[in-house]
Amino acid sequence: MPEVLVVNRNLQKENSWLLDTYRRDGGYAQAERAVRESTPEEVIETVTAADLKGRGGAFFPTGMKWKFVRADSNTPRYVVANGDESEPGTYCNRFLLEKDPHGFIEGMIIAAFAIDAHTGYIYIRGEYGFAAERVREALHECYVAGILGEGIFGTDYKLDIILRRGAGAYICGEETALFNSLEGKRGNPRFKPPFPTNSGVWSKPTAINNIETFACVAPILEHGAEWFKGLAVGKGNAGTKVYCLSGNVQKTGLFELPLGTTARELIFDYGGGVADGRTLKAFKPGGASAAVLTPDLLDVRLDPSIIQHETIMGTGGCIVLDDTVSIVESAYRDALFFEEESCGFCIPCRQGTPNLVQILERILQGEGSMADLDLLESIGESMASSFCGLGQFAYRPVVGALHRFRDEFEGYIRGELPVSA
Amino acid sequence: MSETAIPAAVDDLRARVQPLREDPGSVLEALHAAQDVFGYVPPEAVELIAEELGYPEAHVYGVVTFYTMFYAEPQATHILRVCRDLSCHVKGVRGVVAAIEKKLGIHAGQSTADGRFKLELVSCLGQCDLQPAMLDNLAPHGHLTPERVEKLIDELGDEA
Ligand SMILES: Cc1cc2nc3c(=O)[nH]c(=O)nc-3n(C[C@H](O)[C@H](O)[C@H](O)COP(=O)(O)O)c2cc1C
Ligand code: SF4
Ligand code: FES
Repeated sequence: MPEVLVVNRNLQKENSWLLDTYRRDGGYAQAERAVRESTPEEVIETVTAADLKGRGGAFFPTGMKWKFVRADSNTPRYVVANGDESEPGTYCNRFLLEKDPHGFIEGMIIAAFAIDAHTGYIYIRGEYGFAAERVREALHECYVAGILGEGIFGTDYKLDIILRRGAGAYICGEETALFNSLEGKRGNPRFKPPFPTNSGVWSKPTAINNIETFACVAPILEHGAEWFKGLAVGKGNAGTKVYCLSGNVQKTGLFELPLGTTARELIFDYGGGVADGRTLKAFKPGGASAAVLTPDLLDVRLDPSIIQHETIMGTGGCIVLDDTVSIVESAYRDALFFEEESCGFCIPCRQGTPNLVQILERILQGEGSMADLDLLESIGESMASSFCGLGQFAYRPVVGALHRFRDEFEGYIRGELPVSA
Repeated sequence: MSETAIPAAVDDLRARVQPLREDPGSVLEALHAAQDVFGYVPPEAVELIAEELGYPEAHVYGVVTFYTMFYAEPQATHILRVCRDLSCHVKGVRGVVAAIEKKLGIHAGQSTADGRFKLELVSCLGQCDLQPAMLDNLAPHGHLTPERVEKLIDELGDEA
């Protein structure tokens, strides 16, 4: 089966990032038509009917989000593109930022029009230097061509989009932390509610979406809601998802497939199976925050319904682990990530993340005890009450690994497995 | 940067920060500019940014310390940011790190005495298709092996 190229339709083109290339194949026609001929309500209605859900990991309905923003009479309103992409195993936004910046910018313009915003921000993680250059050039092209600025597409609608770079902080992908960062502050999260739709950047109503979410918008307006819904497989899904493969897989890379594609199809049909002739031990469906699954679950759909298996769809960054990988060590790597990235603002996460690291270290060094396994569980329970999503998810890859591979944890404790870490 | 070079650089930075004045949220952009100019964020830059953007210096320091890519101390010419996360881990990043440590005679978090290289172990760089991956400052390098990274260091050392 071929990939279904909607979001990634332009990536293979020569000079794909240039405005000329983008316009040659109808680029910005949807934004222009929306701004000149549609009403914001019509745009929101189409996006709602298409059942587009946020690709940043939470799968919140995009049309509903925009409607909430528009319903708040407080102005000015803002549109924000979340290009912080820092979930381990995830790199799909990077390709869009570097190779097709106009695709998601067009979606942002349509969103801005839908919520009547006159300022947008694009927030790109600090490590994506090349992506930021490409986006900066693309914005410049838009201003020169009258696609951004005073009176866009020859109307009297004004829109500015400002590029901002992060500086090394996973937590700034969390929307409220991102707002603080955009406001020139430390990137600690804010209490919710109020939600961003009512109080986002500068405490004003804000539509924040992932880069890939925005990249879906112009194709939806072009081909219609029913077309978009028909692209997916599985109950309640609409559109495609750009899945990323990494780890012990033959072919790493991006695969844009129907949302709801199974893990078996992704890993074996598209990724060519496990690398180096090894066998599959486990896979993580959506980045570090997702708990590992075992090969008997290969036929699960990579969509939000995966939550029934004690893991999450997350970003769709699928990490393949072969039979040589120590699951305890992989849990330790995830724990290190969350320890490093915890912002330290609330106690359950600030204390819980290093505690998980210490216990896993102990176990890997052959100095753990069976009581440590209970301790991992109880730390997890305490972290569930963390202030934001980082802490609320950080323990799950560890506890999930313990639930599915308890034998292996016990093997280290009983001294049957070689000391490592 | 030598002591005498600082005043000229401060003027350079001021020219870059002044256009940001209308946009009080642009503290991070101003700090990126400071690092472009100085290679780190010296007290002179904090003072200037605080003054131009209208914040107390403590606020600007607070931002510098929050973000791992901002540095309050002078840095090596090449910051080697090696990913420690899972995809790179299962593709052998530990051997790559060991090779760098041996080649440069430093441990993660340290810099060489000549100020040319620093080794950092960092979170996923979003370059997992290049696993195991690293950045030389912001330039990505992937599919690393101990041999390749040794050669890369030689090449970078020649240009530094
Ligand atoms: C710790 C944490 C990190 C996050 N990082 C990202 C990110 O890098 N990119 C992203 O789009 N969403 C990220 N999110 C989700 C955002 O908070 C937000 O839900 C999303 O940007 C909304 O866009 P969407 O509806 O289009 O998915 C993160 C959430 C949490 C809790
Ligand atoms: S859960 Fe972690 S990242 Fe979130 S606010 Fe608390 S300390 Fe910060
Ligand atoms: S896990 Fe190493 S770059 Fe993503």
